Amino acid sequence: MAHAHAHTHAVKRHSGLMDWLTTVDHKKIGILYLLAGGFFFLVGGLEALLIRIQLWKPMNDFVSADTFNELLTMHGTTMIFLAAMPILFALMNAIVPLQIGARDVAFPFLNSLGFWTFLFGGILLNVSWFTGGAPDAGWTAYAPLAGTTYNGDHGVDYYVLGLQVAGIGTLIGGINFLVTIINMRAPGMTFMRMPMFTWTIFITSALILFAFPALTVGLAALMFDRLFDANFFDPSGGGNAVLWEHIFWIFGHPEVYILILPAFGVISEVISTFSRKRLFGYSSMVFATILIGFLGFMVWAHHMFTTGLGPVANALFSIATMLIAVPTGIKIFNWLFTMWGGSIIFNTANLFAVGFVPTFVMGGVTGVMLAAAPADFQYHDSYFVVAHFHYVIVGGLILGIFSGLHYWWPKMFGRALNETIGKLTFWTFFIGFHLTFFIQHFLGLLGMPRRIWTYLDGLGFNEMNLISTIGAFLMALGTILFLLNIVTTAFKPKNAPADPWEDGRTLEWTIPSPAPEYNFAQTPLVRGYDAYWKEKMDGHKGMTPAEPLGPIHMPSPSILPFFMGVGLFIAALGFMYAPDWGDMFDGFKAGYGVGIFGLLILFGCMFLRSVIDDHGFHIEEEEILKDKGGKA
Amino acid sequence: MSAHSHVDGQLPHEPEKATLEGRNKVLGFWLFLGGETVLFGTLFSAFLALRHQVLGGPPAEELFNLGLVAAATLILLTSSLTSVFAVHALHTHQVKSLIMWLIITVVLGAGFLGLEIYEFVHYVHEGHGFTTSAFSSSFYTLVGFHGAHVAFGILWISLLIIQLAKKGLNTTTAPKVYIASMYWHFIDVVWVFIFTVVYLMGKVG
Amino acid sequence: MASNHSATEESTKRHKVEGPKKHVIAFIFSLALTLIAFAAVMGGEINKDFIYIILMGTAFLQVFVQMAFWMHMKDRGHTFALIGILGGVFIVFTCVIMAEYWAWW
Repeated sequence: MAHAHAHTHAVKRHSGLMDWLTTVDHKKIGILYLLAGGFFFLVGGLEALLIRIQLWKPMNDFVSADTFNELLTMHGTTMIFLAAMPILFALMNAIVPLQIGARDVAFPFLNSLGFWTFLFGGILLNVSWFTGGAPDAGWTAYAPLAGTTYNGDHGVDYYVLGLQVAGIGTLIGGINFLVTIINMRAPGMTFMRMPMFTWTIFITSALILFAFPALTVGLAALMFDRLFDANFFDPSGGGNAVLWEHIFWIFGHPEVYILILPAFGVISEVISTFSRKRLFGYSSMVFATILIGFLGFMVWAHHMFTTGLGPVANALFSIATMLIAVPTGIKIFNWLFTMWGGSIIFNTANLFAVGFVPTFVMGGVTGVMLAAAPADFQYHDSYFVVAHFHYVIVGGLILGIFSGLHYWWPKMFGRALNETIGKLTFWTFFIGFHLTFFIQHFLGLLGMPRRIWTYLDGLGFNEMNLISTIGAFLMALGTILFLLNIVTTAFKPKNAPADPWEDGRTLEWTIPSPAPEYNFAQTPLVRGYDAYWKEKMDGHKGMTPAEPLGPIHMPSPSILPFFMGVGLFIAALGFMYAPDWGDMFDGFKAGYGVGIFGLLILFGCMFLRSVIDDHGFHIEEEEILKDKGGKA
Repeated sequence: MSAHSHVDGQLPHEPEKATLEGRNKVLGFWLFLGGETVLFGTLFSAFLALRHQVLGGPPAEELFNLGLVAAATLILLTSSLTSVFAVHALHTHQVKSLIMWLIITVVLGAGFLGLEIYEFVHYVHEGHGFTTSAFSSSFYTLVGFHGAHVAFGILWISLLIIQLAKKGLNTTTAPKVYIASMYWHFIDVVWVFIFTVVYLMGKVG
Repeated sequence: MASNHSATEESTKRHKVEGPKKHVIAFIFSLALTLIAFAAVMGGEINKDFIYIILMGTAFLQVFVQMAFWMHMKDRGHTFALIGILGGVFIVFTCVIMAEYWAWW
């Protein structure tokens, strides 16, 4: 009955550029996220290098003070929103549906929409470099500095609108993955049989769902303050500047866990695979992940200890913050016990994973130090804080991302990365990282404030800043080696086997590399945790199918998400420049006209999406069998 | 599996959950409403923090006209009931009565929106403009976000009425109607807190 | 298949009889709660804190009635819907505490 119409719809498939603009395939969208996120990672990295060049010696004037503020703002904003999160989205798109035995995500169209809104938001933010000044109020955009009194030009407008547009994409992605994981698991894949990476993505998506709307409101309020003279954060209009800090961090602290939880998931998969052991304490890992997600919402004010909330609030948030060390500690010990007694293979992916563990512990320990409110008055706004959060975000998240990319590269592209260059990447990046940031703890304790353009000679900062800059260049070298690895690998034959590490434990390793469009020719039946490993141990060659071979229904590609991104981009520019562009006709600003035009594109696309039924198309049995024969 | 499964045959009792696509939509929309809860909650908390910052403008006790608010509440509450009847008609596959209830819902929604616009215009004349004070900015932002949701709902449900009239009730249109009705209830629930927290508490002071 | 089918039809029939009535009762309940809230404020000289308690009580009760009956939340298969909404409500509570206690001093 379900397939009665299989032959009535013509197969719609594009090729070349059009294929990439219209794709709703989660694997291709994953690659798009990786490309865009990787590009912004390089941009943010370049900004970091310029910052370190400016600071390598006292009284340096390599960049002006204004440019320095722009660089540090854009470095933070780019790395968090446009590099780290999209690369995580790349991994979750590429892997999560495969790990749960699904053919696709729950909302393929929205998945594509999420990518394009993110990309156009990111581009919008970076357009500011060419139109008279990037945002320069820090990635936290504290009021009243971010208000029109102190930031009269359009820099912060780009921040507000760029993040608003990109944030829509992130929220859509979060809901999509929640529904995918809840509704689309293969038969037998119970929640407590889900791979750890899928679990962390599940919790991360929930955090996105509950944290991003707060950012939406904060940005909208700041936008109203800036564009329409509202008084939310402007004390002269009765507003409250601390309210922005609260709203920002109610979003911002969960954001930190949105970033780090997926890295925990990657590390769990990689360490388990290359120790050839079941992940130690799986259920405690799940519990710890949920607990971290929950506590992540209860600790936002530890960013505001010095604001003056008073002893009760400070004590509460101090204790809540320290509590997070408990589930995190559980995770650390579980990784160590997973390695304990395993036959460990130290390839690139596992080097990054093993390097992650002590590095992240160091970031965690300084986190607990900062959580002590009285001590925080000393550390606050110093390089100690800079060292702390780079230890958790670079030493935690970025090492996790590198590990995951080396681990899943064959599954994403059908080619394994070169191990020699890979190991060289690890050592240069790892040593460079510690060289850059370890010394910054001491710079902070000596009293060097963060976010300063330059410093005087004779304060004892000189040598340490020089060492830090050298480390930054070493990290850059590591990144270049990684790019070199990608390029040389791209010219190798596409011959990665389905299970390139030979010790694959989860479902993604049961299907060809790269996965065919429909992922699973037959939906697999899951009989336990580490589904594939269980079949291997029971002496089976592959998974038991849960359904007979038959035609597979696929969603149609669509160009609408791309144009919805374009519409939002145009609308944001129009509203931003309304005060500058003059009137279209009497009393009506041209900018509003442009803005409404952009919104019309958006709503027009939504209208079309609602009215036109997507019948999709079917991939026939013969084609699936041909794929199977070719790969077997 | 496919969206066509039941088109020609008998529709199941809950056609919105007959296909995986439909179930995904309903669950995804519930989660979206969870996010919307945070969105409105943040707007409420900003309003709560700023509601006494009236500067030179009129304070809430003098400004608000409770008769108007009561009328708006009655209209929106009734529209929530009519959208329940619409879902009931959906479950009993009565397309005509479904369309009728949806039309009544939209008309009531438009009436609510008209009252709100009248109210806003009135307040501006009283010296309570968007830029007057932190109180006024947060008031218009919170109530305006709700009003924008109502406006979007009106457009959305109108579009669905046209689709229902053209395509009839099937497993593709059913989930759309069902989540639109969830959306409409959610707007009503938010309004319950707006009339309580903004208007009634404002009147109490 | 056949018995399943007739069971569906039967439940549809039962729904027809009970459904609208149940919803009208919920509607009257909502109206009454709204009336109590407005009356408490317009009625005159009651203690301010007491009015606040009445207002919050009627608001939450009304939301409960609407979500349970009109949004079918009390029906089976709404576990994740409930988690989604309650998760949001939890965050909202922290936001409100922030606004009431930690925004001004």
